[in-house]
Amino acid sequence: MPPRLRVAPEQLRNVRPQYVCWQCRHASLASATTPAPPIEQTVQATSPIARYPPSQPPSHKPAEFRKTQLHRQYQSLLRSSPLIVIFQHNNIKATEWAGIRRELTAALNKVDQDVAKEGNNAYTGSAIKLSVVQTGIFTSALRVVEFWEPKFEPESPAIHPSDPKTRSSASVEDTKGKVNDPIFTHGLSRHAWWQAKNKSKTARHGLEPLLSGPLSLLTMPEVSPQHLKAALSILAPSPQSPAPKRRANPGYYEKPVQDGLQKLMLLGARVEGKAFDVEGARWVGSIEGGLSGLRAQLVAMLSGLGAQLTNTLEAASRNLYITVESRRGMLEEEQKGKGGGSNGNDETAAEKAAEKAA
Amino acid sequence: MLTKYLTAVSTAFSPFNARSGKTARNFLALLPPNARSRMAIDVKMFARADVDKPASLSLKFKDGKEMKLDLEKLKLKDIQVEVDRHSRLLKRQEELAG
Repeated sequence: MPPRLRVAPEQLRNVRPQYVCWQCRHASLASATTPAPPIEQTVQATSPIARYPPSQPPSHKPAEFRKTQLHRQYQSLLRSSPLIVIFQHNNIKATEWAGIRRELTAALNKVDQDVAKEGNNAYTGSAIKLSVVQTGIFTSALRVVEFWEPKFEPESPAIHPSDPKTRSSASVEDTKGKVNDPIFTHGLSRHAWWQAKNKSKTARHGLEPLLSGPLSLLTMPEVSPQHLKAALSILAPSPQSPAPKRRANPGYYEKPVQDGLQKLMLLGARVEGKAFDVEGARWVGSIEGGLSGLRAQLVAMLSGLGAQLTNTLEAASRNLYITVESRRGMLEEEQKGKGGGSNGNDETAAEKAAEKAA
Repeated sequence: MLTKYLTAVSTAFSPFNARSGKTARNFLALLPPNARSRMAIDVKMFARADVDKPASLSLKFKDGKEMKLDLEKLKLKDIQVEVDRHSRLLKRQEELAG
């Protein structure tokens, strides 16, 4: 049997005595400890509070709806792509879409590689998308983009809601909780919708008749005629931009791809905010060498002009130089024939010749 | 719309014409995905300058009837009604025969 350890009860007890709230035990002894309000608040009321955080301004339609988000997406698509080609798709099946997109991506990749060889490493082709849009929502988004000038940098209001100096009775924008407050300058705001709706009654953007039925868009982040030509040669072949040959690209002639392409109709294009028809779209695609090609043509023309000008101006002095040189050569030969002479004589002869020529 | 009895669709229109262009395009969108294996579809589009050029839509049925539809007057619903009227006749004949 192990020896019994003697333990003092004082050692088992906690060293620090437990805190006991006597005030709580005796409710009758409790006293209210609400702090007194600061003196400023007794003199004037608290400042008004902004109803909406700056990242979540109120929208015309409920923000959680799919159509609202699509509207926002289409607006951003329209603002970020200067070149949009509009197609109608008549009951194209998923397999056919997959085939068409595959061929399109392959063709654009090829253009990207060609362009990269020339030194342009933008790889625009990878950002070009063929997407189906909801026509009604796209129409509304296009209207907002065309007819509503957003103030992207709103003037900061003179009275700021979170400024402690602002009185509660002050009328501050954004604190009223109204959707149609003009302070909200985003594309989904009621203000934007209202302005676009009003202006569209009189103004026209030119694409209205195209916006009905099933639409799909080919969107390009920059106006690149090479890429457009490659895309049109796949999606809507024509004599200007012929389809790839069967031997070069057998995948293009597979049945689903061809079936799908027969049902895809090129309707028009929107280039830099202007409406183009089918011929116009093809014309943009037919610009040789793209924008850089156009620039190169212009530079060549201007530099050619400059060279001509300098040639004309130089001509007189060059003629003089040639005459003098030939005369000098003649004189030197004469001197040699005489059997010697000094350089001084040569120079004077050359000077005389120059005077003659002048 | 009953498209089973159509054998040929040929249309010429300008997509920039708000009335006839829309009607013609929406009619084409009504055709089923495998329409081209069953009927000859011929679509011709005018340029933007020819907006006012008269659009045309002509259909052929299995029994040989040809239908020319006036796109200036008829809207999509009216075209559907016209096509369905003849297609129902053909359907009934087919049912009685077989």
